[in-house]
Amino acid sequence: MVRLPYLTALTTLFSYGLLFAFGQLRDFFRKIIDWFKSSSKDLKGYAPICLGLEDFYTRRLYLRIQDCFSRPIASAPDAWIDVVERYSNDNNKTLHRTSNTTRCLNLGSYNYLGFAAADEYCTPHVIDSLKKYSCSTCSVRVDGGTTDLHTELEELVARFVGKPAAITFGMGYVTNSAIIPVLIGKGGLIISDSLNHNSIVNGARGSGAAVRVFQHNNPSHLEEVLREQIAEGQPRTHRPWKKIIVIVEGIYSMEGELCQLPEIIAVCKKYKVYTYLDEAHSIGAVGKTGRGVCELLGVDPADVDIMMGTFTKSFGSCGGYIAASKEIVQYLKYTCPAYLYATSMSPPAVQQVISAIKVILGEDGSNRGAQKLARIRENSNFFRSELQKMGFEVLGDSDSPVMPIMLYNPAKIPAFSRECLRQNVAVVTVAFPATPLLLARARICISAAHSREDLIKGLEVISKVGDLAGIKYFPVEPPKHETQGHKKLE
Amino acid sequence: MAKLYVQTVPPPDLNKNTEWFMYPGVWSTYILILFFSWLLVLSVFRCTPGMAWTVVNLFHFAITYYFFHWKKGTPFAEDQGIYNNLTWWEQMDNGKQLTRNRKFLTVVPVVLYLMALHTTDYQHLMLFLNTLAVAILVIAKFPNMHKVRIFGINE
Repeated sequence: MVRLPYLTALTTLFSYGLLFAFGQLRDFFRKIIDWFKSSSKDLKGYAPICLGLEDFYTRRLYLRIQDCFSRPIASAPDAWIDVVERYSNDNNKTLHRTSNTTRCLNLGSYNYLGFAAADEYCTPHVIDSLKKYSCSTCSVRVDGGTTDLHTELEELVARFVGKPAAITFGMGYVTNSAIIPVLIGKGGLIISDSLNHNSIVNGARGSGAAVRVFQHNNPSHLEEVLREQIAEGQPRTHRPWKKIIVIVEGIYSMEGELCQLPEIIAVCKKYKVYTYLDEAHSIGAVGKTGRGVCELLGVDPADVDIMMGTFTKSFGSCGGYIAASKEIVQYLKYTCPAYLYATSMSPPAVQQVISAIKVILGEDGSNRGAQKLARIRENSNFFRSELQKMGFEVLGDSDSPVMPIMLYNPAKIPAFSRECLRQNVAVVTVAFPATPLLLARARICISAAHSREDLIKGLEVISKVGDLAGIKYFPVEPPKHETQGHKKLE
Repeated sequence: MAKLYVQTVPPPDLNKNTEWFMYPGVWSTYILILFFSWLLVLSVFRCTPGMAWTVVNLFHFAITYYFFHWKKGTPFAEDQGIYNNLTWWEQMDNGKQLTRNRKFLTVVPVVLYLMALHTTDYQHLMLFLNTLAVAILVIAKFPNMHKVRIFGINE
């Protein structure tokens, strides 16, 4: 649910219309100029690689602000990060790297618990495992790629999440897009939240099942869609669906919102459909002991059929996992292509996750895990409340470490991004097509590695840039010391 | 001026090409663009208001026919070309006919037509051009013309 001033909606639509018109004009002239220039002889008769209209958005809109995306970094993504400077001679069509770097405050990496940089417990263990097992297992899981580290990780993940068994894969995106086709096929129905991540959309399309969408985070609309689909059955034959799976996420990465898990689980139990929870952003970051949205919202993990997560966000590693009952995990082990044909996770990465989970659980002998969880909660709530007091429109629930600041107008995206970089703050801006067309935003990710001074500096810079770019859409709350100053005068 | 706020929920439309049309403010922006282009034509060509409305009507016909009923597919590659045979009009609202947005977009050319005719006093040449433009636009928007390609043009 976003609230925007009406004038902003009109100007955003008008700006996109103007950009679209100019893009079409440039395409038109390009077509005329290319028609005069003779095409090279050896490509005559071949079909064009991409249709002119398919990459219109990339050519005419994205390339103009290309310097705000894909910025190369030259250090570990800790609270402060080295961003490589780039320059362009042809108005952002091509970018060249320089050898200079700027040290910026890192508000863009998914470094929720601060494990991305060297850690006093994890890094020695990782270096030991690198020396013992070397960088890669050079094999798939089913052949020779299952080390004892992998088995230890799977048991640890299952224990951490609260399920009987787990299975891990080398890449988080692949976990979704390779598992969903194995779980459901033609004749089944997938009902997914309208704002689900691209990996889930890809997996759902690849499975061959029918896909329906319900309004984001709206359990009553989910119930409506379920009732309609169960009553109608499969598209032409009207036979009952073979299987129905509902896919939701724990924290939605573009909104920072928590899923309404208890209500959705209640609806799914009523109609006897399976549930699949993608906890990529919430595992390790929310909940009293870091066990994700189930712990935060009081849902028993046994009620969710399949829990998926990634190790990239809170654990500072790479890869993904699926936690489910022993039978499902056993089934996945002999059907999932990511287990049968893809190389297994790199052993140092596995050790990093094992050490990180041990720190979170407190099994390394200290209470740093609990400290980190408390710090990220404090940091997120502080940052969000300060931003809202300044008049920004910030989405997301409290306790969530992801906070998108709404920008709306397409021109404010590069303005915000470039000005923040000039003042040594690195932020990530997201535009169409990752978000709906009108709702462009800058997404801030808070980490437990940020100290209070870092956050205050970040707030100052964002406030200054926000004034320059004009994104303080809500009235500013008057600061408290004004009233005290008043009293002093009298 | 006091800020009027609108609240909006992202609509559950998977097609990012048409999803932007379901937000608040789209209808007003459309009408305001037409009105300001009329003022622009009046100030640039220095003609009568009726001629200006006719010019706006004809340009509106050319632009909306090209983008709504001629160009097919989407301007980005993320959807892997599943809409490559559908024009923007056919993609709107997931193919559902007679929704509010479609009715609005059918009424706008007719209203433009009436205004153009009224301000030119129904002179024959203007009458003919305007009627041709509006007839093509309105027929293209009929529910029965969904996915119909006459004589295989624009297949």
